[in-house]
Parts: sequence; structure tokens; C-alpha cells
Amino acid sequence: MPSVSIVVVGGGSGGTLTSNLLTKHLAGEIHARQVTVHLVSGSQRHIFQPGYLHVAFAGQGPAELERDEHTLVRKDVHMIEQSAERIDLKAQTVTLASGETLRYDYLVVATGSVPNPKAIPGLSEAALNFHTSPEESKKIWDVLQRFDGGHVVVGIAGVPHKCPPSPNEAAFLADDYLRKRGIRDKVKLTFLTPYPRPYPAEPMSRVVEPRFQKRDIEVVTFFNVESVDPTKRMIYSLEGESQSYDLLLMVPPHRGADVVTKSGIGDADGWIPTDKNTMRITGYENAYAIGDATNIPVSKTGVTAHLESIVAANNIASSVHQKNQLYKYNGRIHCPFEMGSGTAAFVIGSYDMPVKEIQPTRIRYMMKKGFARLYWQTLSGNWDWIFGLYFGETHTVERT
Amino acid sequence: MKPTTVVDSRGTMCPGPITDLFRAYRNANVGDVIELLATDPGAKSDTDAWAKRSGNEIVAVIDEKDHIRIQIRVIRKGKQ
Repeated sequence: MPSVSIVVVGGGSGGTLTSNLLTKHLAGEIHARQVTVHLVSGSQRHIFQPGYLHVAFAGQGPAELERDEHTLVRKDVHMIEQSAERIDLKAQTVTLASGETLRYDYLVVATGSVPNPKAIPGLSEAALNFHTSPEESKKIWDVLQRFDGGHVVVGIAGVPHKCPPSPNEAAFLADDYLRKRGIRDKVKLTFLTPYPRPYPAEPMSRVVEPRFQKRDIEVVTFFNVESVDPTKRMIYSLEGESQSYDLLLMVPPHRGADVVTKSGIGDADGWIPTDKNTMRITGYENAYAIGDATNIPVSKTGVTAHLESIVAANNIASSVHQKNQLYKYNGRIHCPFEMGSGTAAFVIGSYDMPVKEIQPTRIRYMMKKGFARLYWQTLSGNWDWIFGLYFGETHTVERT
Repeated sequence: MKPTTVVDSRGTMCPGPITDLFRAYRNANVGDVIELLATDPGAKSDTDAWAKRSGNEIVAVIDEKDHIRIQIRVIRKGKQ
């Protein structure tokens, strides 16, 4: 068997898990030196991004969210500690920062999404956020501790963005914190959203809306942020409305990774056209995209990246093994959704199952915390039996 | 009416169509016509509510066999 080169680009949740799963599925071939799995990642900081909220609104230490990528990949993964500069799908090559070119037989692009505050004039100067880094999230915690009253505006500055519940969660957790400090009566709390309702999917919005009302969180809908004036402390919408603020906490617009844009393999915003079931990049049988990097119509979250990794890794392994099998992702989403006072719900749906209405409970909050603790272990690929038991069907397998 | 931009959101569920519409609106100019193709039944009411609130105009809603086409003329965008 000639040597097979598999290149995974991106060392986040999806890329790490895909690399680990491939080395599990292809262990025999790797040990016989018939297959090599390369993981290309310019950063060795692996960050548990859902934890940003707790750094920003509950004072968790930023360092608790971080592990060295070397400790997360299996020994058979060949780590390449450089960023990818260009991906050529036709030539089947990935060019590294050093100029070296890697040839591949199979490719997985897991380059994620990039929060981009600079896309909105004035936003990066005016607003803090809980999406770009643990350090940026810590700034919110520092400011909140000194905040003694005024207008706090929490919201969404562009769509799509990763972790759809996170803006609502931020409003709930900010409210919790301000009540705990005893200054909630000195604060007006407003939630800005481009969507028609507090949460984009109506069944979960029916859960959020009365809870926002009860907590006196004002909701302003159809507010697509156009610009922010940090001097006047005003935020303006494309729809022609405006809001004042004293403290602005906004989810920035997101775009695809630079390497996707530079390589010309994404759409105008850098999302890669991808088959929503097979996870193959449109027009290519040996190239896959997973996680936030794709243009498929599901939430950009760690859980979806995880489930898509399983599909991509199995499809590559099946092809290497010359099995006539094709794995197909069913669009399952499962986003934890914290709603304050130590309660949480989940946003659950799939391509064929609209999002359900799920009430927040203490038990679901404990489940969310449990999943967060399990996160690092789940990247090994050894815990998928738990995902299988818990999620039920997340993909189908067809004979080809 | 010939649209300036066609946004194909067929096969996506809420909030897919309205998200795609907002992406197109962000890049549009006043006077442009955005045509949204959608299969999600909520797309029509969401688009209608947004147009009323924002002062933009729905110029046509066309029921096709397996999807709807909503044409929106951008009347208002940004600080005016």
C-alpha cells in the first residue's frame, strides 16, 4: 500500500478530535508506516472557549481554560507547529508558514471562525467581549467589579457568531452578578439583538422571554449594529435606531480564517461551502471541512464540531480501508444554555427536528458543568460511546 | 422584478433565512432589491416584521412549488 498522507489543518476542538480519531481508526496502517496523520496548528494554546463566560461574569481564572495542545493529541499524530498559509484543493497541497509544502491524499479543514470586532466601526474601541480570548473576557470581570451603576448593554454585533446562546447567557449572568453585588437597582440592563425575538429559535425564545421580563432585562430586537461612537457612548443600527450605553458588552461579528480567504476556498465571509451531511468540501471527495469553518446551516459550537469530526474521520478511514460506507451528519445540535441562578437548558435540534422548547433546571446546569469538566477527555476520541448513549443518533451510515 | 441579490436559504431552518437576509442587508445599498428564497415557514413572518420595523419594503412574496421567494427593496439603511 502506498503511503497515504492525511492533513488536518487547525488545532481546536474539531481538528484535535479528528486527528485523534484518525489515529485510532488507522492505527494498524500508521504503525505499518502506510498512513501519516499530520496536524497543522500555529498555536499550541488549546482553549475551552465556553469558559469565557465564567471568566467574564463569575471571575473564573483565565488559566483554568487552557491546556497545551501537545498534552491533548495522541502520540501517533504528527504535529506541525506552524500555521497554514495556503490550501490548494486542486493540487492537494497545504503550504506552511515556512514555505514548505505538504502534499495530502485527504484533507480536513478545521480552522474555525474568527471574531472580528474591527468589522464594525468603533466596536473594538467601545466594547468589551467574551469571544476573543480569556484575557479579553477577564477585562469584563475587572470592569464589572468597579461598575457602580448605569446602562449596561449586552448584545450581538453581527451574525453568524459562535455559540448562539452565549449573548443571552451573558445577560443572565450579568444580571446574577449585579444582584449579588446589590446594585441591580442602579443598573438598566438592555439586550440588543438583530433577531425578531430574544432567542433566534422561537421555542427557546418562549423560555427566555419571561425570564428576561422577570429580571427586568429590556430587549431591543431587529438591531443590526452599524457602528459605535465611543465618544458619545452611542450604538447605531442599520435600521436607523440608536441606543446609549455606559458599559457595552457585545459579541463581535465573525468571519472565516485567514487561510481560507487567502486560498479562495470560502464564500465572501470566509465560510467553506460544505456538504451538510458528508462534511466534504463542495466539489471534492477527499477534502472535508468541519466545525465553525463551514457554511452549513447549524450552530457554530464545540458540540457540532465534535459530531462533524466523527463523520469526517470515519469517512476518511472508510475510504482508506476501501469500505463502501459513507457517514452522514444529521445536523444534531446540543448547545448548553445557562439561564442564571444556577439553572441551564439545552438547545436541541437537527436538520429534520426543529429546536424544542426546553425549560432550565438545576440538573441541566449540573450536566452542563459535567460536560465542561469532561471536555479535555472527550478530545481523545475515547469517550464517544458516552456521546452515542447521550445524544442518540447523530449520523447515519450508508452503503455506497 | 429583477433582484440585485439573491439569497438562497432553502433547506435552512430559523434563524437561517433571517440571518442570511441580514448578511445581504449589511452589504446592500439603498435601492437594491434582495430576493430571499426560503423553505422555513417562519421566514415570511420574520421578514415581514423586520421590514415593517426597519422601514424597508416587501415588494413581492411569491409562493413557488416548494419554497417562497420574498423580494425586499432596501429603502432605509443606517443613520438617516
